[in-house]
Amino acid sequence: MADLPSVFWSGWIAVLTLVSLAAMVWLVWSIYFGRDAGHGPESGPVWDGNLREGNRPPPMWWFWLLFGSLIFSIIYLMLFPGLGAFPGMLNWSQGSRIAESYDEYEARFAGARAEIAAMSLAEIQNERGLMAVAERIFRRECAVCHGPEGRGQADLFPNLFDVDWQWGGGEEQIRQSIRGGRNAVMVGWAPVLGGEGIDQVGEYVMSLAGGVDEDHPGKAAYDQNCAVCHGADGGGNILLGASRLSDPVWLYGGDRESIRETLTHGRFGVMPAFDEQRLDDTQLQLILALLVR
Amino acid sequence: MSGMWLHRKFEEHTGLLIFGILFVSAIGGLVQLLPILDQESLETAEANTRPHTALELAGRDIYIREGCSVCHSQQIRPLIAEVERYGPYSRAGEFVYDRPFLWGSKRTGPDLHRIGGRYSDDWHRIHLLDPRAVVPGSIMPAYPWLARRAAPTGEDMAARMAGLRLLGHPYTDEDIANAGAELDGLMEIDALIAYLQSLGTGYTEAGP
Repeated sequence: MADLPSVFWSGWIAVLTLVSLAAMVWLVWSIYFGRDAGHGPESGPVWDGNLREGNRPPPMWWFWLLFGSLIFSIIYLMLFPGLGAFPGMLNWSQGSRIAESYDEYEARFAGARAEIAAMSLAEIQNERGLMAVAERIFRRECAVCHGPEGRGQADLFPNLFDVDWQWGGGEEQIRQSIRGGRNAVMVGWAPVLGGEGIDQVGEYVMSLAGGVDEDHPGKAAYDQNCAVCHGADGGGNILLGASRLSDPVWLYGGDRESIRETLTHGRFGVMPAFDEQRLDDTQLQLILALLVR
Repeated sequence: MSGMWLHRKFEEHTGLLIFGILFVSAIGGLVQLLPILDQESLETAEANTRPHTALELAGRDIYIREGCSVCHSQQIRPLIAEVERYGPYSRAGEFVYDRPFLWGSKRTGPDLHRIGGRYSDDWHRIHLLDPRAVVPGSIMPAYPWLARRAAPTGEDMAARMAGLRLLGHPYTDEDIANAGAELDGLMEIDALIAYLQSLGTGYTEAGP
């Protein structure tokens, strides 16, 4: 109601509402207590020769029902917004209702939340109750991608409880991953490497777990194209989100077929950003306590 | 004063009775509908709200066709529980380019108004094709055909955009001309994901 087009429309609403209310009061009153009320058929006109009609009001409890509703409407219109731009004596609005809810929420939980935000991760990790809360937040916000246990799923979303961290597993790095999100970009190499090259590089990548094999046919192409991000020894680079290729952890699958797919079409992993609205500082602190080891 | 006199008058004159009925039933509309036809907040786009791109518009049609709004609402009410769960409550100005709006009234699944940007495109793809693959307890049906059917053609969407422009959506000639390029080679699922990723991004709390 705050932005009615003009005073005219505000008045229009108020006048029409009040006039119809008054008309309703008059109608109900006149049916029950008007001059003709209670007259039997003897007073009415005659239809079809012998049909007469009178005015017998419905039982009195109907009157009280109607009258009560009218009184209710009047009180309602006095207290709440409804009559044009009149805000009502309670000054109620949807916006203020939610603001009040948040004030109440703050008053109840601000202390506890400040306390949690000030705790170190180790302190939180020692509080069983807080860790249970952290797990609930995790299930609500993170589990949809990372799986209900955080063990990753769909060969797309990383396991958060193994040793491998694509973007780094330190407190600050994980905080950055959550707050700012991450966009990993590995382009497809089919145009550069060709079919045979992809097979060779794939084989080489699979062999990196056993150390660098100087004589491998895929090494030259790997060193030229892949080592920039993934490192000559396949150690990866957490600054770029380039995964470590020399360990047994494979986000997109470590079999020959999956690796060929990765090399051919590239991979574009996206971690959405969680702003303060979605995960406030206290909640973030709890999630970090869950993830950082 | 006597109501009986008026009563009789109405009963004996059919034309008057018809007029009376029409007038009385119009009062609600005169009070509630007429004034807001001109209400600014219902016509002014929120700061970041823009018309749907050709791809999003195609996705929106698919959203309608598949009946997503039967189970998912697109309206976050101004209640703390909803704002905490879904994000800032919905503003009228965010729906100015929705014809019709898809608020829905049933939440078998969660509200989708702020789904944009919450999950990655890849997640949506897996989830639409097989919801149980990422949300084990989900009761949402799978929509595998979305990945097999080609998105509507550019001409199709260009015609729609031209129609919407007549209704006041600020599409440029360039937007309409590019519709074909935007949809080229894409499948229905791509369009739907683009639409989902655009949902609720028309509002920022900070706002200019």
